Amino acid sequence: MSAMDLPPHVSDWIGKPAVVIDHVVRAEAGLWLNFCAAVGDGNPLYWNYAAAFDITGEAIAPPAMLPAWGIDHDWAPGRAGPPLRTLELHFRVKEALDLPNGLVTEVEFAFHEPVRAGQSVRVEQVLREVGPLRQTRLGPGRDWTIDVVYRKPGEALAGVQTLKFLGYRAAA
Amino acid sequence: MITASNISPGVRLPSLRVQVTAKTIIMGAAASRDWQPQHHDSAFARGEAGLPDVIMNNYTQAGFISRFVTDWSGPHGRIGRLKLRMRRPICPGVEMVVDGTVESVLATVNGFSWVDLAVVVGAGAETASLAEVRIALPATAQSPSPWACPPALWAPAFEA
Repeated sequence: MSAMDLPPHVSDWIGKPAVVIDHVVRAEAGLWLNFCAAVGDGNPLYWNYAAAFDITGEAIAPPAMLPAWGIDHDWAPGRAGPPLRTLELHFRVKEALDLPNGLVTEVEFAFHEPVRAGQSVRVEQVLREVGPLRQTRLGPGRDWTIDVVYRKPGEALAGVQTLKFLGYRAAA
Repeated sequence: MITASNISPGVRLPSLRVQVTAKTIIMGAAASRDWQPQHHDSAFARGEAGLPDVIMNNYTQAGFISRFVTDWSGPHGRIGRLKLRMRRPICPGVEMVVDGTVESVLATVNGFSWVDLAVVVGAGAETASLAEVRIALPATAQSPSPWACPPALWAPAFEA
């Protein structure tokens, strides 16, 4: 249940795909191995094509990296204007509610079909609910929840991510 | 090989210890393609965002937790669900310690069993995050890998 004091355009975002990011990045091993190196993950499904062949058919991207495939390149030739931001809908909510800062307080992933090299995803961001204005430790703020659905070509479900945010205005 | 038949509730996973530096946080944010300034810009984090320093993003935390779990399970372990509650930020200069316990071994379906794990991410003396992980493990050493499960039968988001 969302708060009743929301701007009408924020209320209109609730329950439907308000931001769609359509196949902006192709997964490739060079990108996902950077992530594996960052967290020290030596799972052979990501690194070793021979070992992965027997288990997953071919190497796969780390499931925890799924959201990265829905983030547009920070720069692209010929593009007018900036890219959509990471979790663009979250930033639109922050701006609409005049809450300059935001933190993820909870994230839940349901992982389905793994992403493989050469594949891309279609991402739908859906605002599920927005809570009332409240005083937080960081300043006045609100909580909101966004669902992000990731689909591979052919509509195969790659995963669903549910994020809970705190948006706030830093106390002076 | 870890299978559902050779674990039971209460089994503890080997701890993962990571000395967190600015590089740890920035490398994770960059590799997950997350360019929000609180993950790489210390001045922004301390100033405009009111944080102690740059903070580890949730994707990097999920990556460390996935590593922690599959280091234990081996590659046949297939994570179906990961829920992460962030209580305190993880900043440079702390030792991050990831601990986990088998909470329950659920029903066997299609040759694999769902196993729920409780995971705690400590940062120094504090609990930074709590996680719940649901992983599919082969029911026995002779069972098929959960990765062989047809997509239509893969349903990790049920309520236990």
